[in-house]
Amino acid sequence: MRKFLTPRIVTWLHRANPVAKLTLVLVAFFITLFSHSLDFVFYQAIIYILLLFVLSGHAPWKVLLIILPFLLVFISSSSTMILFGKGDHLWWEWGLIRISEESFYRGIHIGFKSVSFAAEGLLFVLTTPSVALFYALMQKGKLPPKYAYSFMASIRLLPMVWEEYEIRRNALRIRGVRASRGIRSWYTQIKLYAVPLLSQSIRRAHRVAVAMETKAFDGKRPRTYYYPSTFSRYDLLVIIILSGAVGIAYIAALEYPLFGIFDVRYR
Amino acid sequence: MITDTVAEVRDLRLKFPGETSFVFKDLSFSVRRGEKMLLLGPSGSGKSTLLQVLSGIIPNLIEVPMRCAEKILPPSWGLLFQDPDTQFCMPYVDEELAFVLENLAVPQSEMSQRMKEVLEKVGLQLGELHVPIDSLSQGMKQRLALASVLLSNPEVLFLDEPSALLDPEGRKQIWKSVQAIAENRTLIIVEHRIEEIIGFVDKVVLFNPDGQIVGQGHPHDVFRIFRRELQEYGIWYPGVWKDFLSSPDGQTLSESVKPASVEEISSIPHLVLSAFRGMRYGGTAIEVDHAEVYPGDFIAITGPNGAGKSSLLLSLMGLLAAEGTYILRETRMDKLKNRKRKFEMAAHEIGFVFQNPEFQFIADQVSEEIIFSLREEGLTAEEVSTKVAEILVQFGLQGLEYRHPYQLSLGQKRRLSVAGAAVLKKPLLLLDEPTFGQDAVNTFAILKFCEEMRSQGMAIMMVTHEEMIADTVATHRWEISEGRLVSQQVTKRGRNRDNMNLIERVEGSFST
Repeated sequence: MRKFLTPRIVTWLHRANPVAKLTLVLVAFFITLFSHSLDFVFYQAIIYILLLFVLSGHAPWKVLLIILPFLLVFISSSSTMILFGKGDHLWWEWGLIRISEESFYRGIHIGFKSVSFAAEGLLFVLTTPSVALFYALMQKGKLPPKYAYSFMASIRLLPMVWEEYEIRRNALRIRGVRASRGIRSWYTQIKLYAVPLLSQSIRRAHRVAVAMETKAFDGKRPRTYYYPSTFSRYDLLVIIILSGAVGIAYIAALEYPLFGIFDVRYR
Repeated sequence: MITDTVAEVRDLRLKFPGETSFVFKDLSFSVRRGEKMLLLGPSGSGKSTLLQVLSGIIPNLIEVPMRCAEKILPPSWGLLFQDPDTQFCMPYVDEELAFVLENLAVPQSEMSQRMKEVLEKVGLQLGELHVPIDSLSQGMKQRLALASVLLSNPEVLFLDEPSALLDPEGRKQIWKSVQAIAENRTLIIVEHRIEEIIGFVDKVVLFNPDGQIVGQGHPHDVFRIFRRELQEYGIWYPGVWKDFLSSPDGQTLSESVKPASVEEISSIPHLVLSAFRGMRYGGTAIEVDHAEVYPGDFIAITGPNGAGKSSLLLSLMGLLAAEGTYILRETRMDKLKNRKRKFEMAAHEIGFVFQNPEFQFIADQVSEEIIFSLREEGLTAEEVSTKVAEILVQFGLQGLEYRHPYQLSLGQKRRLSVAGAAVLKKPLLLLDEPTFGQDAVNTFAILKFCEEMRSQGMAIMMVTHEEMIADTVATHRWEISEGRLVSQQVTKRGRNRDNMNLIERVEGSFST
C-alpha cells in the first residue's frame, strides 16, 4: 500500500508547505460549497480532476483508478435530490418519486459538488505525507506535539491491526466457528473479532505510549525539529495555480455555459 | 557508600488494583553504580514491575498504588522493552531517532551526525538513515530501540526481556550490542533466556513467586546454591535441559523411539508433499521439493524469522493457495478444486496451535473452550463433561474451569490453546512456536503433551527456535531458509524408528 501511494515524480504541489496547502484547499472547499451556478461547479469538478492528473505525481492509470469511486460519489449524492427534490416542471412521477426539471439540475449540481470536494481533498492527500503534515502543523499551526506524535504513532499501528484481523479470521476458521444468519449471530461475530483485536490494540497503544514517555517526551522543554517547516516560493506557486483554477472555471462557466443555470436554488 | 547507590527502594509495598495479593511486600532492593545485574524469578514474580518502580514509571506514568520508606531514582536512565514493534512512533529509522533528539532539544544541524554515531555504537549498519523500520528484522529493530535509548546517554539502563521475542540470531545481535555499550553504565536486566547474558553480568538476584528475594550474588554461586529453587520455579538456568532430560519425564522425551509393535507404525504416510509451493501475496512463500510425514513423527521446523515456516503450516491447512502434490491421509488435496472443501478436509485431519494463544480463544470460560472443540463429536453431555475434566487435569488447568481464558497466566493460556487443538486427537498437530516466551516448566510441560500424543500415533510438526527441541526431542529436523525447505535430517532419536519404517516399507513392497 505504501509503495502504491508513493508518487512517481515530485511536483510543486509536493514541495509546498502542508499548512499553506491545507489552508488553500479549505478555501477551495468553501468556494465550491457556496457556488450555486451549475456551470461553475461543473467546471470546477473538471479542472480539479485535471489538476489531479497533472500535479499528483502519480501515473495516469493510477489516478484513474483512484478517481473511479467518484462515479459512485456522483450517483449516490445526486440521486436523492433528483428523485425526491422539489420542482415545478414535472418530468415523471411514481408514488413518492417525483422527478422535475429543477430537482434534476439540483441533483447533478450536488453530484458535481461532491466530486469537486473529493478531488480537492485528494489533491491534498496524494501530495502530502502524513509525517510532513504533522511537522508543519506543529511548527506553523501551533499543534501541541503530544497530539501530533500520537497521530503519527497510531498510523504506524494500523497495519498491525489488519494483520491480527487476518490471524483471527484464520484461527476462527480452523476452530470451525461458522457464521450463521440473524442479528444475534451478527452480534456474536462482532464480539468474536472485537474482543481479541481491541485488547491487543489497547495493550499495544499503552506500551507505545510508555515507551515514548520514557524517551523524555514530556513537553518540559522547547523542541527542535528534524524537518524544519518553512514557507517557500512553491507556496506562492500553489496559490497561483489554485486561484487560476478557480478563475478558469468561473470564466469557462460564463463563456461556455453547458446548462445555463446560474442559480439552482429553488424559490 | 550513599553516593555509590544509583537506585534503591526500601520497604516497598505494591499491589495492582483489583488483585488480592501484594506483588511486593516490604521489599528492599538497591543497585550500586556500575553493576551489571540480572533479575531472575518465575513469571509473575514482579521483576518487570520492579524495573518500572526503580525507573519511576510506576507511579509517575502508570498509576499503581505503592508505598515505600525510601526511594532513590537514577539520575538518568533508559529502558529497553520486550516488544520490538511497540517501541517506535515513527515510520523511518532517522525519524524515530529524531523524535528522541527533538525531545532533548538537539539542534537540527547536529542530528544526522548523532544518529550515525549511535547506530555505529550498537552495530547497526544500514547504509543510509532514511530506512523504513518495517524493513528491519526483529533483532535489528531491537538494536534500533537500544540506539534511541542511548541517545540521551543514560547512566542506568533497564532491560525488560529485550530478547524474549527474538530468534536466536536476533538474540545474539542484541546482547552483543548491549555488551558493547555496557562500559561505564549500570545495567539492570530482566530476562528469561540467559545463555547470552550470563557471561557479562556480575550479579544475579533470585526472586520467589511471592516477590521476595531468595538470594543474590555472583552468577556461579547463585546457580550452584539455589539449584533446587531454580528447578522448582521452572526458570531457565545453565544446564536446565540436562537436568530435565535426566528426570523421568525428560527421559521418555529423549530416548530413541522404538515402536512397541510393528502394527503400530503403518507404512502409509500421513502427509506427502512433492514439488509443493505455498503462495502468499501473489508470490511463492514456501517451496518443498519432497517431504513425507509418518505417524509417530515429531518434526521440528527451524529457520530464521520470516523464512516461511508459518507459511508452510498455513498452506498445509489450506489457508494459503498452493500448487504441486499434497496428499493428506491418502486424499489428494491438490485435486480438490473447491478451496472451502479443501480447507474443511484439512481442518478435519489437522489440529493447529497459533503463536498467540489469545487469537484462538472463542469462549468466555476455560471449560467452554474444550467443549467447543468437542461439539461435533456426537458425545452425550455426560461424556463431554468427563472428557473435559480429564483434559483439564492432563494440561494442568483443573480448578480454572470457570475462569475467562484471557485471565489465565501466559503459561496457562498456552496450555489451554494446545489442549483445545489436541483434545480431538486429529492425526496431525501443527504448532507455531508453542514454547516461545515460555519459562522452562511450561516448555517442558508442552513437550510432554506433544510426546504423549506422538506416542499414540499422531504426527507432530512444531515450528521452533529451540535447538534442544530440534536436536534432541524431535525425531526429524526440517530447516527452512528463504522460502525453501532446504534440509531434512533424522535426529539421533528418530534414527531407530526410521529404520523400522524402512523395513516395513520394504516388506510392504514385497507383499504386493
